[in-house]
Amino acid sequence: AMAAGLERPQVVSHAQQALSYTLFDCKWVPRSARLLCLGSAARGSGLLQLYELRGGRLVLLREIEKAKPLKCGTFGATSLQQRYFATGDFGGNLNIWNLEAPEIPVYSVKGHKEIINSIDGVGGLGIGEGAPEIVTGSRDGTVKVWDPRQKDTPVANMEPVQGESKRDCWTVAFGNAYNQEERVVCAGYDNGDIKLFDLKTMSLRWETNIKNGVCSVEFDRKDVNMNKLVATSLEGKFHVFDMRTQHPTKGFASVSEKAQKSTIWQVRHLPQNRDIFMTSGGAGSLHLWKYEYPAQRSKKDSEGAEMGVAGSVSLLQNVTLSTQPISSLDWSPDKKGLCVCGAFDQTVRVLIVTKLNKV
Amino acid sequence: MPVWLREHRWRQTASAVYLSLPVRGLRVTPANIFCTDRYLKVSIPPFLFEAILYAPIDDTNSTAKIGNGIIFFTLYKKEEAMWDSLTLANANKEKLQYLRENAVLKAHEKAKEETEAKKVTKQEHKKYALEATMKLEEAERKRIEDLKEKERQKVTKELELWKKQQEDSEKQKRVQKEGELHQEVEQLKERKKEKMNKTSVPNEGASKTRLKATKGCHGSYSMFSENLKEEQLPAPRSATTIKINFTSRVFPTALRESRVAEEEEWLRKQAEARRTVSADLSELEDLKEEEKNPEWLKDKGNKMFATGNYLAAVNAYNLAVRLNNKLPLLYLNRAACHLKLRNLHKAIEDSSKALELLTPPVRDNENARIKAYVRRGTAFCQLELYTEGLQDYEAALKIDPKNKTIEKDAENIRHLIQGTTQDS
Repeated sequence: AMAAGLERPQVVSHAQQALSYTLFDCKWVPRSARLLCLGSAARGSGLLQLYELRGGRLVLLREIEKAKPLKCGTFGATSLQQRYFATGDFGGNLNIWNLEAPEIPVYSVKGHKEIINSIDGVGGLGIGEGAPEIVTGSRDGTVKVWDPRQKDTPVANMEPVQGESKRDCWTVAFGNAYNQEERVVCAGYDNGDIKLFDLKTMSLRWETNIKNGVCSVEFDRKDVNMNKLVATSLEGKFHVFDMRTQHPTKGFASVSEKAQKSTIWQVRHLPQNRDIFMTSGGAGSLHLWKYEYPAQRSKKDSEGAEMGVAGSVSLLQNVTLSTQPISSLDWSPDKKGLCVCGAFDQTVRVLIVTKLNKV
Repeated sequence: MPVWLREHRWRQTASAVYLSLPVRGLRVTPANIFCTDRYLKVSIPPFLFEAILYAPIDDTNSTAKIGNGIIFFTLYKKEEAMWDSLTLANANKEKLQYLRENAVLKAHEKAKEETEAKKVTKQEHKKYALEATMKLEEAERKRIEDLKEKERQKVTKELELWKKQQEDSEKQKRVQKEGELHQEVEQLKERKKEKMNKTSVPNEGASKTRLKATKGCHGSYSMFSENLKEEQLPAPRSATTIKINFTSRVFPTALRESRVAEEEEWLRKQAEARRTVSADLSELEDLKEEEKNPEWLKDKGNKMFATGNYLAAVNAYNLAVRLNNKLPLLYLNRAACHLKLRNLHKAIEDSSKALELLTPPVRDNENARIKAYVRRGTAFCQLELYTEGLQDYEAALKIDPKNKTIEKDAENIRHLIQGTTQDS
C-alpha cells in the first residue's frame, strides 16, 4: 500500500518566503523563473514584489509601492514581449503596469465603485485568438470587460437591473476564446449565482445557483471551445460542469465534490493537462484532482434534446501546508508541476508536484 | 477409606528408578499424579498409591507415562546410588504425615516459582517483540523519507537545469536583439549621412519614406511581427451593457448571512398558526362558511377600519381571534382599532400580544413589529406614561432607523418628558 502511495504525485515544498504584508495574489511571470506577489501593507498601501527563484530560495528583485492595496492581478492580456501586468485594487481601480517602468501605469481607469475582487485576461501571451481583453468583477455587483486600446469605458458591462439589490461578484474567468469572435465570461457571486455571459451575442447565456457563495471559477482552457468549468464555493464544495452540451432548460451537467469542511478559495487547472486541477482550502490545504470523462459525454433526454453527462473526479493527492487559508495559487506555464501559492500566514510558497506525467 | 494399590513393580539403575503401577481400567489423568522430590502419590478415588521414596529424586525431569492400564514412572535419582528398596522402610505415622505435608508445601512453592518465571519470560518476550516492531516501523519510515528526499533533490536539480535553459535562451535573444539594434543604428547613420548630402526638399521627403521602408524591412523581427498582428486584431467591441438579475430567495440573504434557524422557526409558526382552529365551534355552527375563516374575517375587519367603522372592525377581529388565537396580525389590527376608540389599555394589551406572537424577530415580520411598537407607544403616551412610550418608540426606531416619522415622534416625546420633569 505504501508503494502505491508513493506512485501518486507528490507535492514537494521547494522554497518559501515570509512576507511582511498580507498577500492576496501571486502569479508567475511568463517565460521566466520569476514570480509576482501583491497585497496590502500594514500602512494601508499596496505592494507589488518581484521575486526570482534561485537555487531553492526566493530572491527579491524589486519592490513597488502603490497608493491603494492590491487585490488581484493577471498577465493574461499582455504580449510575451511586453509582459505588462494588470492589477485590480481595493479602490476599484484597474491599472496595467510595465514592470520595467512602474511609476506610471500604461493604462488606468477607476472601473468600479468598490474593491475589484477578481481579474482575468485573455488574448495575450500568444494564447488564443482575438483582441486582448481584461475582465474585472467587483463588490459593487458588476462585471466589466476592458480593452486596453479603449480608455475609460468598458467594452462590456454586466450590471444588476435598476432597483435590484446588488450581490458581490467574487470571481470572474474568460473562456471559449477559440476564434476571433467567440468569447465568454463566467462570473461567480456571493449568493451562489454563477452567470455565463456570451460576449459575441452580448447576452446572458446561462445561469445557475449553487447555494453557497462562489469563491473561484475557471475554465480548463480559455482558448478552446469551452470544455469544462470548475466552480468552488464556501463550505468545502466544488462543482465541475461539462460545458460541451447545453440543455435548453437544464443547462450544463455537473458533478460536485465535497473535499473538506472549509472554504475552497481557489481552483487552478494545470496548463499542461486540462483534466488535472488543484484546489486550495481555508484550512491551509491543497488538493490535487483528476477529472475522468464518462463513456459518453452527451445523451438524449425524454424529449430528444441533447444533455450533457458529467464524469467523475478523483483525488490524487492532498497536503496541508499552513494553518491559514491558501488564498492564491498559480501554476507555472513553463515548467510542468511548478506552482506558487500564497497564504494568509503571510508566506509565499513554491511547490513542485511530481509524477504528473504518470497520471 | 481409600483402596491401596499395592501391585507395583520396580527396578533400578544407578541413576534412575523405573516403577510400573497397574491401574486396570481406571481413567488416569496427569492431575491424579502428585510428585515431589521425596514423595510420590497417585490418587484416583477411591484408589490410592503412595510412596515415601528411599532417596530424593529430580522431580522436574522425572516422567510418568500413562497408558494401557498401567502408569510407568521414570524417576531420576538425585544421587547416583542403588536403593535398598523403593520406599523408606521404617516410616512411622508422624513422619509420614510430616513428609506428606512437606511434599505438598514444596509442590506449592514450586508451582509459584514456575508461574513467576513464566511471567518474567512473558514480559521479556513482549518487550522484545515491541522493540522489534519499533525497529521495523522506523526502518519503513526512514525508507519513505529517503524516497521523498531523493524525489526532492531530483526535482530541484531538474528545476535548476530548466532555469539555466531559460537563462541561456534569454541571453541568446538579448544578443540577437543587440545585434539587430546595432544593425539598425548603423543603417540610421548611413541614412543620416545621405540626408546631409541631399540639398533639395522633395528628395528629403523621398529619403524619409525610404528610411521608413528600410526600417520596416531590416528592423527587429519582433517589432515587425507585432505590427502585423495589430492589424489582424479585431477592433474593440462597441460598449454594451447586459442587465442581470440575482437569484431571489424567500429571505434575500446568502446562506452565509441567513439566520436560517430563526427564519425556519418563524415560517413554521406561521404555518401552524394558520392551521390552528379553536375547539369551541359549537356555538359558531350557525355562522356562514366564510365567517368561519379567520383570514376572511381579518379582511372584513380591515375594510371596516378603513371606512371608519371601528366597532364593527373590533367585532370582526374578536370573532377571528376566537377561531384562531395564534395570528399576530389580528391582535395588531385590533390594537389599531382600540387606539381609535381610545380603549388605550386594550390597545396596549393587544399590541403586547401581537409582539409576543411575532417571535423570533426576523426580517419578514419587521414591519409588523414596528407597527406594534408604535401603536403601543402611542397608547402609553396618551395615558401620559411617557417613559414607557418612549421605550417603545425607540424599539421601533432600532428596527428601522431610517423612519423619519418615528424619529420625529420620539423627539417630541423626549421633549415632553424633559418638559414635565422641569415643571416638577
